[in-house]
Amino acid sequence: MAIRAAATSAPTARSSSALSLPPPISSSSSYSSAQLSFGRAKSTTRPRTTVGCAISCTMTREAAAVTSTEKDDSDPALWSRPDSFGRFGKFGGKYVPETLMYALTELESAFNSVKNDPDFQASKLCISAVKAELGGILKDYVGRETPLYFAERLTDHYRRPNGEGPHIYLKREDLNHTGAHKINNAIGQVLLAKRLGKKRIIAETGAGQHGVATATVCARFGLECIIYMGAQDMERQSLNVFRMRLLGAEVRGVHSGTATLKDATSEAIRDWVTNVESTHYILGSVAGPHPYPMMVREFHKVIGEETRRQAMEKWGGKPDILVACVGGGSNAMGLFEDFVKDKDVRLIGVEAAGLGLDSGKHAATLTKGEVGVLHGAMSYLLQDDDGQIIEPHSISAGLDYPGVGPEHSFLKEKGRAEYYCVTDEEALEAFKRVSRLEGIIPALETSHALAYLEKLCPTLPDKTKVVLNCSGRGDKDVQTAIKYLKV
Amino acid sequence: METHHFHFKTRRHNYPQVVCANHRVTTSKSNVNPSVLRLHNYGNPTADLAKERAVSADETKRPSTGKFGRFGGKFVPETLISCLEQLEVVFHQVLQDPEFQEELSTALNDYVGRETPLYYAERLTAHYKAQNMGRGPDIYIKREDLAHCGAHKMNNALAQAMIAKRMGLTAVVAATGAGQHGVATASACAKLGLSCTIFMSAADMEKQPSNVDLMTLLGAKVEPTAGNFKDASSESIRVWAGKLGEVYYLAGAAVGPHPCPTMVREFQSVIGRETRRQAAEKWGRTPDAVVACVGSGSNALGIFHEFVGDRTVRLIGVEAAGFGLNSGRHAATLAAGEVGVYHGAMSYLLQDEEGNIICPHSIGVGLEYPGVAPELSFLKESGRMEFYSATDKEAVDAYIRVARLEGIIPALEASHGFAYLEKLCPTLPDGAKIVVSCSGRGDKDATTVSKYLSL
Repeated sequence: MAIRAAATSAPTARSSSALSLPPPISSSSSYSSAQLSFGRAKSTTRPRTTVGCAISCTMTREAAAVTSTEKDDSDPALWSRPDSFGRFGKFGGKYVPETLMYALTELESAFNSVKNDPDFQASKLCISAVKAELGGILKDYVGRETPLYFAERLTDHYRRPNGEGPHIYLKREDLNHTGAHKINNAIGQVLLAKRLGKKRIIAETGAGQHGVATATVCARFGLECIIYMGAQDMERQSLNVFRMRLLGAEVRGVHSGTATLKDATSEAIRDWVTNVESTHYILGSVAGPHPYPMMVREFHKVIGEETRRQAMEKWGGKPDILVACVGGGSNAMGLFEDFVKDKDVRLIGVEAAGLGLDSGKHAATLTKGEVGVLHGAMSYLLQDDDGQIIEPHSISAGLDYPGVGPEHSFLKEKGRAEYYCVTDEEALEAFKRVSRLEGIIPALETSHALAYLEKLCPTLPDKTKVVLNCSGRGDKDVQTAIKYLKV
Repeated sequence: METHHFHFKTRRHNYPQVVCANHRVTTSKSNVNPSVLRLHNYGNPTADLAKERAVSADETKRPSTGKFGRFGGKFVPETLISCLEQLEVVFHQVLQDPEFQEELSTALNDYVGRETPLYYAERLTAHYKAQNMGRGPDIYIKREDLAHCGAHKMNNALAQAMIAKRMGLTAVVAATGAGQHGVATASACAKLGLSCTIFMSAADMEKQPSNVDLMTLLGAKVEPTAGNFKDASSESIRVWAGKLGEVYYLAGAAVGPHPCPTMVREFQSVIGRETRRQAAEKWGRTPDAVVACVGSGSNALGIFHEFVGDRTVRLIGVEAAGFGLNSGRHAATLAAGEVGVYHGAMSYLLQDEEGNIICPHSIGVGLEYPGVAPELSFLKESGRMEFYSATDKEAVDAYIRVARLEGIIPALEASHGFAYLEKLCPTLPDGAKIVVSCSGRGDKDATTVSKYLSL
């Protein structure tokens, strides 16, 4: 459900004329990284809740009515992603209850301070022996760096009769511990939570992958873990529920609404509002209020950074095209992030068209959605005429999300990234095809990206380098696939 | 009877000499002259390696006997001998072929995801130290669970599928018990475009349906057989014997007639080689002890082989004690077995008084093999290796313990190795370095464990 709440404010050079606000708390003075000490649970300069001064936020499609801090529109390197408001253009932001504002700001400061802390840094250190906390864990525990694998038989499959065709590489996030890219973010956030002194972790999960990743890292670091999961999803994914419980997590079923992911997310946010002092909320994707979209992207961007280095090693250049499936958008942002500023690299996101775009049963948010606020951020989402969230459908639970990360909405609007979609049937075909051709069983989510190759490859010139993010393995989807494929 | 002394050289260290007075290789008439079997150290497969190896041309032409002391050999019908000899020739060829080694190396890195990490299990270490006044060994886990398909089986399946392709064969046949080897074989065959038939007993198919589904999805044909793994094994060998020259038999375990045990061990030994390098990086020397579960022995040999010549490294194998060694329902071949010939090799095996093979039991299906690798039998007899066992209950407890403490769900097979830590850690000095081989991941066992716990 959309949360209508107070808009954020932060000092800028010019005052925003569209909304009249009380004097903003100066975030640069109170919460700068230099001054915030993590040993204290409370800061002495807490924001005072402005009682009796109701502020409402108007959702508008008028770009002019929203403050923009962009200076130059055409060069991706100069875009503020996000700006100090947590906005990507008009998307993003922090549409949350007041009680969460402090927690979000604290989280942002903590993240900014560790981002530049050499003891914490990840990406460049995976292949070296430097003892950095996150780098070490990503290497030895998660199993990074993941290979960039040349899919020879898949490439042959798309070779045209005259022998020409693109070269297809798979970024093997399926080889990570727990079998998906989700763990990159879970690890980063749990280390952050430890630095903040939090002992209790909560998370939401749809298919269970993010839940399992969170339960895994909580077991590894000895933290209490509560996972919210829609009651319907718990039935569909009982094995993942068992895995989470085996790992020591408590799985709480959510029965409200349609008892699926969006309801679980709302319940998790409610828990966080209640227990914000002791609890850290590990959001699973690049959605949600700022700083989550930025943080989750930063923890995943190791995928793209490794890809750049591996591409250079393998063919001495950059990829021409990056392809990834998009549910909330975390694996896609992880692959894309390092290449956003490279305008010669095409970025392609593939969403779930479910039973078809016209059937009304799909999850193609960027293709068929409208702009609105969901789970704390302004982004594209699937809503009906009354503004109620439409229940999405996809055969793959991980893409079954009615929203999408605000940064994807931004990249789409800027034209920097292209978004297409693929039906359940096409995804299942791709699932079978890649299993048979490469001996790699991709997750059904990933299969959507793989399915798009059918349309993409015939259009590509010879020797185009395509890197596709194999975001997860498909062992979890075997029962579903067998049922549908009648294999 | 002739007395033969065998020298085994690995990395310029000699094995103890073992008299094999009472056993002769009763195979082909042409080759009764037992040659010196040199166990080569193949190091890290690189293009330069071919030059480093000193294998006499003589040896590559004359097939060896495949004996480890009195164990091993080629106890097979005459029809299979020439096939096995040809296989051995090709095996030696590929080991020295820089192109093959480079292709294998790339595939192991990019496809299988090697090298797998050597991970310091902080909370598991703390758990054991807390039980012993803050003192205890440092536990490292060799993460074969992170390999493609979730187990060490892939190392061998991929290399052998490449050999099949090199030999110009287009079809592969294999047998599987738990299904891991079947999945790895199906996967490798899909990647290389070979057709694949897997024999699996109907009883095992029921116990591990998820693996059957995986094999089917990967394009393999799964043929059910009666009985259990030994019957599936026999059936696959029978099919192979009937289609020699068309079909490649992909052995998954370091058992069977020569050269299968040697081949499988060779391809799995990458595990030990990586471990040595990683141990040197992390703490500057070799491990003090290496612990691995033992079913047929491929993962154990994979990690042990590298260290056989280092006397300071204890090699500890943990078998499945099932319902207990006295219950008669277990799979602890080295502990409770006798020497005999099984599946073409002389080794320890579980047999009753009449010499019939006993049906083994373990909650870890991959450990349910009534025999064991001949090379491990040799290591046991020469005293180089120690072996213990863990019951079903101890394995399940370890499964849960490692999941709760480290967030790693080990395969039930690997859990046997972890279970032995309970007895091992209190006996070790503070700071001793142990490496436990986590041979596979345990997602496949979630249903089994949940049923076991609900009983």
